[in-house]
Amino acid sequence: MGKKKKRTSKVWCYYCDREFDDEKILVQHQKAKHFKCHVCHKKLSTAGGMSIHVLQVHKETVTKVPNAKPDRESTDIEIFGMQGIPPEILAAHYGEDEETSAKVAKVEVPSNLPVSGVLPGPLGVGFPAAPTYGAVPPVYNPALPMQRPSWPAPPRAQSWYPPQPPIPIPSAPTVLPPQPLFPIQNVTPLTSTTAPGLQSSFQVGPPGLPSSTPPSVSQPLFPITSTSSIPARSSPFLASTLPATIASSSPTVYKGAADMNSISNTPATSGYPAQSNQGGAPYTVSHMYASGPNTGGPSIGPPPVISNKGPATQPATNEVYLVWDDEAMSMEERRMSLPKYQVHDETSQMNSIDAAIDRRISESRLAGRMAF
Amino acid sequence: MSAAVLPTSSGGGRELSNPPSDGISNLRFSNHSDHLLVSSWDKTVRLYDASANVLKGEFMHGGPVLDCCFHDDFSGFSASADNTVRRFVFGTGKEDILGRHEAPVRCVEYSYAAGQVITGSWDKTLKCWDPRGASGPDRTLVGTYPQPERVYSLSLVGHRLVVATAGRHVNVYDLRNMSQPEQRRESSLKYQTRCVRCYPNGTGFALSSVEGRVAMEFFDLSEAGQSKKYAFKCHRKSEAGKDTVYPVNAIAFHPIYGTFATGGCDGYVNVWDGNNKKRLYQYSKYPTSIAALSFSRDGRLLAVASSYTFEEGDTPHEPDAIFVRNVNEVEVKPKPKALPAPPP
Repeated sequence: MGKKKKRTSKVWCYYCDREFDDEKILVQHQKAKHFKCHVCHKKLSTAGGMSIHVLQVHKETVTKVPNAKPDRESTDIEIFGMQGIPPEILAAHYGEDEETSAKVAKVEVPSNLPVSGVLPGPLGVGFPAAPTYGAVPPVYNPALPMQRPSWPAPPRAQSWYPPQPPIPIPSAPTVLPPQPLFPIQNVTPLTSTTAPGLQSSFQVGPPGLPSSTPPSVSQPLFPITSTSSIPARSSPFLASTLPATIASSSPTVYKGAADMNSISNTPATSGYPAQSNQGGAPYTVSHMYASGPNTGGPSIGPPPVISNKGPATQPATNEVYLVWDDEAMSMEERRMSLPKYQVHDETSQMNSIDAAIDRRISESRLAGRMAF
Repeated sequence: MSAAVLPTSSGGGRELSNPPSDGISNLRFSNHSDHLLVSSWDKTVRLYDASANVLKGEFMHGGPVLDCCFHDDFSGFSASADNTVRRFVFGTGKEDILGRHEAPVRCVEYSYAAGQVITGSWDKTLKCWDPRGASGPDRTLVGTYPQPERVYSLSLVGHRLVVATAGRHVNVYDLRNMSQPEQRRESSLKYQTRCVRCYPNGTGFALSSVEGRVAMEFFDLSEAGQSKKYAFKCHRKSEAGKDTVYPVNAIAFHPIYGTFATGGCDGYVNVWDGNNKKRLYQYSKYPTSIAALSFSRDGRLLAVASSYTFEEGDTPHEPDAIFVRNVNEVEVKPKPKALPAPPP
């Protein structure tokens, strides 16, 4: 999951228009929902492959892709993940958040610009953030100063960044998820070199995600935090994450069975919030930007949401914390060792009394008071 | 939490009145009625009528009671940390000590097939007792079977007994010939075993560990039999880049559908379809860790012991409680394999 995501929305399924955090999950979805043989449940790799399998093995003709929307049912068109989608459909999908895409385009270009001026408008997303650190301050004053110091804090706090600084943060949607990643990386850099660091980073990152620093900023935006799918630290953005899986706590994963995911959570179909954002400001992004242009509301990215997935995709790089890690003892044994559970049965009491008596006797003998 | 007289109807089920005053180690429904036997760290074994929500009897022990089981609807057995195995009769309130181990007795089961009580202890032995004999440990003990390690969990189905010990050992016995285990196995999970339960159809057992995982195993050691085995992760939480993995403390099989529920330290109860490898349902989170689960004999009720299991030491926790919930078919019935939109 370290691939760059398309700016704007995340990847989506041609057949049913659902959105996913990254292509790997999208492919798993397609295999489980659209490329699965209805007779033997074998998962094929494409719709065409599935229909050939059904024909050859089960002697049945498949003309429609299962679970697909009415005008996307053809088995002739070769789709795999995001590949093979006809350009007009691709455009139509992204056309829904045109503004964002437009912004995105701009983001890439200006990234080299140090900020201010240029950013606010189109970019909203990435740039405004950057500027805040460095250049912008004058503009967003109120917000900025506050934020800097707060950054280090939120990251430490782990997930719940108080929504405060809306700081648009660079790459909106994708960026946020990485929260957890960033705090670790960024804390230092943030504190020390805010401005300079930021600016340079901006220049680097194409989609505007300047690698670590900015992301941390984003954290506050998405209180929801990403759960699972936190991609490896190395890849700053894209993290797919954010799946609102927080809701369901125990994601379960069956070997090889994708269905478990569907059970936990969320109907993901909420799709992209980006659309709603178009209006510009719907988020909680409060306008720390304050004065600033409304840039970005939308660009910042879909606020919470998220849809699907998550649990299954946890990358192996997640830190694992075992609630019970004592190999030597079971929970009951440990509990038994607590003083309040010590068993004082008669025998043990008698034994201690006997021992006391014996001691007295031997002491007396030594003292010569008793005959042996 | 109030042990209110009125049943609190909530997503969690009806809370039982007069619960034990300390943690619950196990609970079991009777095979004959909706009586529920509950063993607790408060040194008691209590008998409830779960439908009527009434406490019907209570038996004191010399130490925390770690397990209990029914004999019939009138009497039961208990395994206590005071090293005793006791038998008690509900109607008369009488009880007596069936026998002793050298260390706390962790598990007790009654086998209808063999007519014997089987206990496992931290003294690394399994003992079989004949409850029909005159009381007194010398008369009732049928046999002592050494185990590689301290016994953590036991389960019976038909003539088979599965014993899970510390060190991840698993011994499978045939009750008709206890001289040695029928199979000596190792848990396929890499972490400490928490609980083992046999499938009602007698073909295998489910084993859970402290690492949020359950293994589905089969007695048939042939390749065909072993190819069906698998394991799955559960009772885990993932947030902020960290996976929190909870012990799976309890497993209970639905007597009719063969699906099973698992309960973990995360406070959730999940219901699974082992054949289709899917989760069927997840109940809403309970106040604290799930220590024990039991389905009633008709599968219509599920008793959930929401009782802190000290996985994080002696810390303040939500009050220990027992919830009895009505089970809906949709939560436990296996679904036929889902078919995608059929082609025309």
